[in-house]
Order: sequence, then structure tokens, then C-alpha cells
Amino acid sequence: MTALASVPRSADAQSWVTRVQPVAIYALVTIIGIAAFLYPFWLPSSALPDQAHSGDAPLVAGIVGALALTALLVEVRRGSMTAMTVAVLGVLAASEGLLRLVALPLGNNAFYFFVILAGVAFGPRFGMLLGLSAMAVSAVITGGIGPWLPYQMLALAWLGATAGWFGRITSRWSPRVEVLALGAFGWVWGFGFGAVMNFWFWPYQRDGGDLSWIPGSSLGTTIRHYWSFYVATSFANDAARALPTLILILLTGRAVLATLRRFAHRLDPVTVFEPLSEPHSPSSVEAR
Amino acid sequence: MTGGLDYEGVSFGYPDGPTALADIDLAIPPGDILLVVGSSGSGKSTLLRAANGLVPHTSGGRFRGSVTVAGRNTRDHPPRELADVVGFVHQDPEAQFVVDRVESDIAFGLENLGGDPAGMRRRVEEVMDALGVAHLRDRNPTTLSGGERQRCAIAGALVTTPSVLVLDEPTSQLDPQGAEDVLAAVARLNADLGTTIVLAEHRLERAAPIADAAVLMVDSRLLGAPAAPEFVLAEYPGAPPVTRLGHLLGWNPPPLTVRDARRRARAVDLSAPLPPVPTTPGDVLVAARGLDVHLGATPILHDVSVDIRAGAVIALLGRNGAGKSTLLRTIAGLIPARRGTVEGPADRAYVPQDPSSLLFRSTVRDEIAETLRLLGRREPGAVDRWLDTLGLTPLADRHPRSLSGGERQRVAIAAVAVGGAAVLLLDEPTRGMDAASRHALERAIARHAADGGAVVLATHDVELAARCAHEALVLGDGEVVAAGSAATVLADSLFAPQIAKVLPGFLTVEQVAATAATPRVDR
Amino acid sequence: MHHPAATPRPWHSVAWLAWAIAAAGAVQLAPSPVYVALVVGIAWVMVEAHAPDGPYRQAFPILVGIGVVFGVFRVAIAAFTTHNGLHVLFSVPHATMPDVMGGFTVGGTVESDIVLQAAAVAFTVIGVMAVFGAVNTIWSHYELVQSTPRSFYELGVVVTVALAYIPATIESMRAVRDADRARTGGHAVRRGRILRSILPVLERGMERAVALAESMDSRGFGIRGPARADVEAGWCVLLALFAFGVGFLALIGNGTTTALVCGAIGTAALVIGVWRSSLGVHRRTYRRRRLQGADWLLMATVAIAPLALGVLTATGNSTLAWYAEPVVWPRFDPVVALALLPLLAPLVRRSPNAAPAGAEREITTVAS
Repeated sequence: MTALASVPRSADAQSWVTRVQPVAIYALVTIIGIAAFLYPFWLPSSALPDQAHSGDAPLVAGIVGALALTALLVEVRRGSMTAMTVAVLGVLAASEGLLRLVALPLGNNAFYFFVILAGVAFGPRFGMLLGLSAMAVSAVITGGIGPWLPYQMLALAWLGATAGWFGRITSRWSPRVEVLALGAFGWVWGFGFGAVMNFWFWPYQRDGGDLSWIPGSSLGTTIRHYWSFYVATSFANDAARALPTLILILLTGRAVLATLRRFAHRLDPVTVFEPLSEPHSPSSVEAR
Repeated sequence: MTGGLDYEGVSFGYPDGPTALADIDLAIPPGDILLVVGSSGSGKSTLLRAANGLVPHTSGGRFRGSVTVAGRNTRDHPPRELADVVGFVHQDPEAQFVVDRVESDIAFGLENLGGDPAGMRRRVEEVMDALGVAHLRDRNPTTLSGGERQRCAIAGALVTTPSVLVLDEPTSQLDPQGAEDVLAAVARLNADLGTTIVLAEHRLERAAPIADAAVLMVDSRLLGAPAAPEFVLAEYPGAPPVTRLGHLLGWNPPPLTVRDARRRARAVDLSAPLPPVPTTPGDVLVAARGLDVHLGATPILHDVSVDIRAGAVIALLGRNGAGKSTLLRTIAGLIPARRGTVEGPADRAYVPQDPSSLLFRSTVRDEIAETLRLLGRREPGAVDRWLDTLGLTPLADRHPRSLSGGERQRVAIAAVAVGGAAVLLLDEPTRGMDAASRHALERAIARHAADGGAVVLATHDVELAARCAHEALVLGDGEVVAAGSAATVLADSLFAPQIAKVLPGFLTVEQVAATAATPRVDR
Repeated sequence: MHHPAATPRPWHSVAWLAWAIAAAGAVQLAPSPVYVALVVGIAWVMVEAHAPDGPYRQAFPILVGIGVVFGVFRVAIAAFTTHNGLHVLFSVPHATMPDVMGGFTVGGTVESDIVLQAAAVAFTVIGVMAVFGAVNTIWSHYELVQSTPRSFYELGVVVTVALAYIPATIESMRAVRDADRARTGGHAVRRGRILRSILPVLERGMERAVALAESMDSRGFGIRGPARADVEAGWCVLLALFAFGVGFLALIGNGTTTALVCGAIGTAALVIGVWRSSLGVHRRTYRRRRLQGADWLLMATVAIAPLALGVLTATGNSTLAWYAEPVVWPRFDPVVALALLPLLAPLVRRSPNAAPAGAEREITTVAS
């Protein structure tokens, strides 16, 4: 078992490269991901060869979504996938997968609040990872693997990551204010998630009407059509997502956050080795 | 390469807690089985986790001194780099599976270490045979019994051919049969492969006889150097009953097994035990008559009747799956009976097997008060009374999740009992408990019965039954196969407590002590 | 991760993935309803021939059902909100929404060409759903997870762990509900029950996770290869993302060729990045199922379908797509059907239709 010899971290692993690279990658994935999601708003008609092939645009966007996801997956595992992270992610993703199956009075939307709270408690990177893995797990258990999956994974990863960033601010506030702020955050994202997810199929539905994407039309027209489409098709559905998310965060946010935060130090253990010089020092170890 | 394990001047404190190890010096010779005993929170688990660097690498915290295993220092090698020299098995049989298929899970360690496919394959087959789990290879671990799961977990730890195997209370969550199987497998491994074994346990009846040496931990420190288990355990309150009997009767060294004790007892002549004080049967609090219970389509109980009287403590015995929990839950009104009735003037309250499924508040006191809140009552006195009854007053402000298994179980009992039910139904209450928690529980049971309540215990723990119960009911395949006074039912069965097997007529060390205040011992 | 004895599937799951991509590509390339119907039929035949018994068999009807519901909804929306058709079927009362709500008109005339066109588009979505519904019933998710490049190994373990803990989590939820009733003497107190159900499950889960992490650590999880590989992979990924970004800009500027070149460079860089980062993961797979020659042959065969359709598109086959204006029956060209034929290739081998017990996890399926 020669491979067990410990591998010393190479010097460049600590250098600025390892700090700058991830930031650049996340930024670019976000920009390109948004571009892929939102291409109906900017793609000029000239980029679409002809009517018969206008169907290729969603295909291209789908492929780009998958590529952006791949890039994200390569980056996000780097240096952070300890046994503890993997185990916690696995166990939480199992609960998440089950929450997706739970039917509340307002539909099966008990899913989002937990990604938000976990992101807030454990940080943006963990939130992103949980979003990715929870969506993957729920796709596997419901037999829902398909071209829509990269979109869903990216959207939930953004939800988790933004919750993590937002949590860095809210954690300084009093618990009551924090929960209110997170509730509002979850409510907004409840709508935002639907608005973003529509894009994997909206561009397919082109019938030239007031509610559909007309390739080559102006940005204003596209936005107006999308808004009409959103109001007509998704608003009720998204309200049914936003409301339970808000209610669940208000009801459970404080206690769930307290619980998760008690475990936060396990994800990032701080180990102090005292020097070996005095092997039999009488004083016991100082602990807070 | 030696298979030994050396601790030199090890001290350790968790990041958010007090000192857990203080000045540990310990050398375990290759091929030995070392038993680590001590109460919950004494530092046993931490000591074991330091063997492969889980402490401090995975836990975090301040670490001093050094632990060396097979020539590698845990300061320089995190657990993953020691996977080929130390195997670690956790007490919770449910929480150490990565893959939901036995064979694939056992192979996990080898996958991480790498190696040639043919060698991996052979090794997995070998460890499955060594632990007797080859027939389970395609099963999902969640469908296995606790004992089978633990043996699979040991196989998963052994697959990397470690020279040291560390087992943290491997049998504390198991029924007697499962515990027996696991410890037999451990002893066989040690005999056949010469694997060094470090074992922490609370229930010592089975573990002590297989150990070469034992060491006692108290308050983060080792009390003396490892020595033969019979000497270390002589005065330990959690020692097997026969060992405490031997200590009481002045046998030196005290025995560890019933077999040893029986040989010594031939020379003992004790007057017959005092007949148990006839307790006046109280009023019937709850009467169950002719219960037939099905779970889904499966019949579980058939024609079971039991009277629960004021002042009674009833032990419900029987193997796993005999219907003990179902009977308790039916009496509690949680499951409907197909036929038969449960009637009586008294309230019933059921405490489930796993206390973790109940606890969610941030302090013990709050947890107990929560039940009253849910019932819409305010009785601060009741909370304090139950804290006191179960010996929880010193823990009242602790977080329930920071407590040991035995302490949590007591909190769960208090949280249910505070509702004021006269009849308490306890499901396997001593699982994972240390001696201190057991004593506190036994006192609470006696006190509740003396106050005119009644307690029904479903348990595998015959020693608990022998010490607390007045009546016993043995279930087999959903039917009552024996019922009567605890003394009679327990004395003449394979379930008999250790003392009854050694000194027929007695059930507990305390009874012997009371009778033999001046024992006449012929040597 | 891989269930050798429990999965007597004749084709490797990666081969099925290739089949699904080819079939979905065929739907894109030949969106005329006749051809989509052919692909849906082929998908159904695959389910009948290759799906093992078990809860996953539901995936096909469920995904097709979602597609149908979605399609009906879509047709209704188009019928009542799109009014630029030529052939009016009938009229209904109409109302115009206020401007904040988008200012569109609901109701009014319903035109046959709009309805038919929307139905045709919805049918292609049903086609894609059917294709993926089919492979979800057939393939082994373990094989897929195991076949991902090693750089996704940890994420694969996350999915594996999650799948292994679902039964325990269900059990934990049940026990907590039970304990909650027991606490109050058998009657459920509704107030605050959400919190009382969530917290103990969460606490138990986190405790399990800590125990599991100790077990994984002790079993050598996370032994790393050289950290250099990760840094190199990072550069490759950055290059790939820059290339994609430039490609997008080129697309806006109508530089199709530049966009394609950039896309190709980006994809290549990403592949290299995944490969480099795989070197940073140290592990061997136990009893891995490798792609056999026959699997490769199958993948090559099914790839013929979209390639042939691509050639037909380039040569101007007019039956591939269908437009509702003027309203005519979609035309059927046997050559196109011939191009779809390779999608039937998996039928060359047969599956024993019933998988042995334990092959699939018990999943108290989908939506209570």
C-alpha cells in the first residue's frame, strides 16, 4: 500500500492561484449560466439560421448548461470534500430527496427552505453542494434524470450559494430579525426559482402569441411576453412554492439554524497540536 | 512491523468541551484483546478514537503527546492514511454504511486504498467468510439485524488487513444473540489472525471473558495500568454479577463467567434466600384481555392478556420480534387491537426505544416541561420531581443532545412520565446504559411503583428484570409462553440471570448480600 | 456502488445514456408528429423489453404523464392567448389583463392552426419525456454513478450515501411521529408539530453523519493524489469557460463559425480539465462493470440515427418538420423511418424481465 505515504501539499497549492482560480471560475460559471438561461432575451434572430432550425437554440443552451454544470462540479469538489462534508451532504440530501416527495397542503414544496437554511448555516460552498446533490438525489429516486436536470441542479445550487452569502450578513443580526430576513429571502426565491426554471422549456413553446418567445424580437417585447407568460402559467404555482417556504422558515428557522450551527465546527475542524517537547507535563489541556 | 499501539503522554480537549483525555500512557502489546471500561463520559470513546487519529484530525481540538501505531504517529497521519493499520467500528450499527449493498460496502475501504482488482476480490471474499456474512452479500444493510450489521461493519473495517481493530461499544445497541455473535467473531479474529483488539463496553458479561487485559477509565484518566480483567473489575460497579458475587464472597480472583463461578460456588453453603415479602396486590390499573394485534397484514400478537396492578413492576421478556414492543404500544393505545380490550382507570404512557426520536429542546428541563406545555398544563413542581427521580437534576441545564445514550434515555423517560400517567411502559430502557444510569433508572422505577404507579418493562436485560420486576411475562411468537412472579419465571429458564445460574434460589447479588451477611464459606 | 449479481442488465447504463441522447436528438431533428410518435413507440418498446420490475418502472408513465399535462396546459394557453392564426375555429368571450399583469388578452378567437401547432410542439416535449422516462426505468443508477469520471467520485459518493440513508430517514421520520404521539398519551397535538417532527430527524441525521464520517475516514476515504492536478484542472476549466464566453459573444455578433470553434475549444479544455482532476482522486473501483465491445457497438449504432437525420436535414427533406399552416396531414417519408431504425438496436439482446428481489431499493414511491 505504497499509495498511503502522505503526499505533502505542493507549494503552489497554498499560493494565490488557489485563491483566485475558484473565484474566477464561480464568476464565469455564473455569467455563462445566466447567459444560457436567459438567451431568449439577448440572442439575435440572425444567430438562428432559419425557422426549421430554430429548435436548435434550446438544444445549444441545454448543452451549455450541462457544460457549465461540469465546470462547476470540477471546481466545487476541490479541497473541500472531506469525509465529514460528504457524509453530511449525503445524509442531508437524503432528507431533501424525501422532502421533495412530501405533499404539503400547497404542493410538494417543502424542499427549498432546507437548502436555504443549510446554506446559511454552513456557507455558500456547502449550500451550492447541497443544492447540486439534493437535486441529483431526488432525480434518481423519482426516476427524473433528463436534459432538464442540469438546469434544475444549477438553479438549486444558486439558491444554496446565494443563501450562504446572504447568511454571512444575516448571522450578525439578532435571531428574530435573521429569521424574518431569511423568510423574505425564501419568499422571493420561491418566485425566482420558478421564473428561472421556466427557461428550460419556454423557448420551445413558440406559437407567435403574446405569451411566447419570438426569436429576434426586441428585449422589451421579450420581457413583456415573458412576464405575461409567467403571470398566466407560473404565478399561482410559484406562490404555492414561496408561501410554504416562507412559513417553514418562520416556523422552524431559528431552531433548525441553531441545530445546524452546533455541527458547523465539525465540517471544518480546528486541530491544535501542542509541541512534543514536554511529554509528561502535569497540567492538563486547556479547553475553553 | 509490530501490531502494537502506544499512547505516550496523551492529553486532549474537544473544541467546545472540557478535557477528555489527561496524561494517558498506555502500551498495548500486539495480539492482545484490551477491554476499556468506565462510565459514560469517562473518555473511553475519545481514547479509542485517538488510536487512528480520528481524535484530533476529524474531531478538532487540542492534542498533546503522541500515539504510535505500527510505527506511524497519528500526529503526522490522519485516519485515512492509517486505514491499512487500524480498523474502527462505531457503536451505532446503522450509521457506518456508505453503500446500500453489503458486498459493495465492505469493499469501500479497498476502493479507497487502491490495489489490483483480483486481490481486492479475494480479500473481500475472505473477510466475508471470516465474519460469516457471505450469505448477506446482496442484502441492503437496513434489512439486516443489528448483530448482522455490526459483523458486516467489522468486515468493512478488516478488509484493509489492519493489525489493530478498535471497537467502540460494538454490542451496546444489540440484543443478546447479536452481541454474542459479534463478540464470538471478534474472539475468533484475534485467535486466528492475531489482530490486536481494543474494545470499550458497558455490558461486560460477554466482553470480559474474552479479554486478555482490562483498564479502567475515570474522569479522562486511566486508573492504573492494564491488568487481568478479573482484578480490574472486582470493585467496578458495572462488573458482571458473578464478578461482584465473587468479590462479595471473598473469592480471589473473582470469576468472570458463570462457569468459573459455579465451580467456586460448590463450596458455598448459603441458607435459602428469604422468601420475597408478599406484596399486597394493588388495584388493577389497566387490564388487557385477549389481545390480537396485526401490523399491516402480519399477525404479531395472539390472545395476550395481562393485568397491570398498582405497585407492580412487570418485566416483558422474549426474543426480538416476539411482540414485546407491539404489546406495549397496544396497551399505550398507539396501535389498535383487532380483538380484545385494554381497559382501566389509569393513564398509560409509552417511552420508545430510541430516545433520540423524542428530544428536540435545547435544555433537559425545557424538554421535560415541553410535555406539560403540549398537554396544556403548568406544573413546575412535576418537572423538578421527575428531574430528581431520575437523577437528572445536575444535568437540568445541559443540551439533551450532548448527553450519553443512558442519560438521554432517562431524559426521555422523564419527558414522558411527567405527563402524570400512572402506568409507565418502557421499551428496552437500558440499551447502551452505563452502571450509573442503570442504578438511577432502577431507583426511579421502584419509586414510581411505591407511589402507587405501575411500570411495564420490555427488555432483553434479565439482570434489570431480576433487580426490579415483581412479575414477569415471557412472549414467544406473539403468545404468552410463561407468566408469574419474576422469581419463578426467571429462575427456571434459559433467561435466568447469572446469579440464579450460580446459586439457585437467588436472583441478584443484593439478595445474596442480605442473606449472607455472615456467609459460612467452606474452603 | 455497483450491484454485479443483482443487475443482469444486458447493456451497460452508459450505452443507454447514449441511446437516450440519440433518441432525444432524433426528436429535435425530426419534430414532425409522425416521427415523434415513432420515437415514443420505440421508447415504449424498450420499456417493455428491458425494464426490470420494481418501483422505477413507474418512471415511464409518470414522466410521460408530466409531459401530457404540460402539453395540454400549453395548448390551452396558446389557444386562448395567441390570436395571430388564420383559421378561426370558434370565438369565446374575451378579457384583457391590466398592464401590470402583462396586458395580454385572454379568450376571443380560437384558431385551429394555433392549436395544432402548439399541440405539435407539446408533442415533441412528450417525446423527450418518453425517451428519458424509458431509460430511467431501464438503467442502473449505480452503474451511471460509477461510470462518472473519477473527478466526480466524491459527488458520486454523496449520491450513494444519500440513497443508502433514505430508508433510515423514512424510519426515523416514522419513529419521531410515533414518539410525539406517545409523549402526549396517544393523541396528537397539532400546534408546533412541524418543529417537533423536523428537529429530531435532523439531529439524528447529523449524528449519523458524524458517525458515518468517522467510519469513512477510518476506511481511507479521501486519500489524495497530487494537488498539482487540481490546480491544472482549474486552469483548464477557466480556459473552457473563457472559450464559452467568447463563443456566446460571437453568437450575438453572428459569427457562427467563431462560436463553433470556441465551443469546440471550450469543450476540449473541459474534457482535459476533468481528466486532470481525475488524477487527483486516488481510488480503484471494486468489481466495476466495464463497457464491453458490444456496448460500444450499440453506442455507435444508435448514433447513426441522429447523424442520418442530420444528413436528411442538410439535403432538404421537407417532411422532417411540420407546420399547421396550411392545415395538412403531416407527411410520412419511409427514408426518415429508416433513419430512426437504429434506435431499435438494444432489442438485439433480451432482458430477463423480472429483476431478483433486492435489486431495486424499496422506495415508498413518489408523492404520498
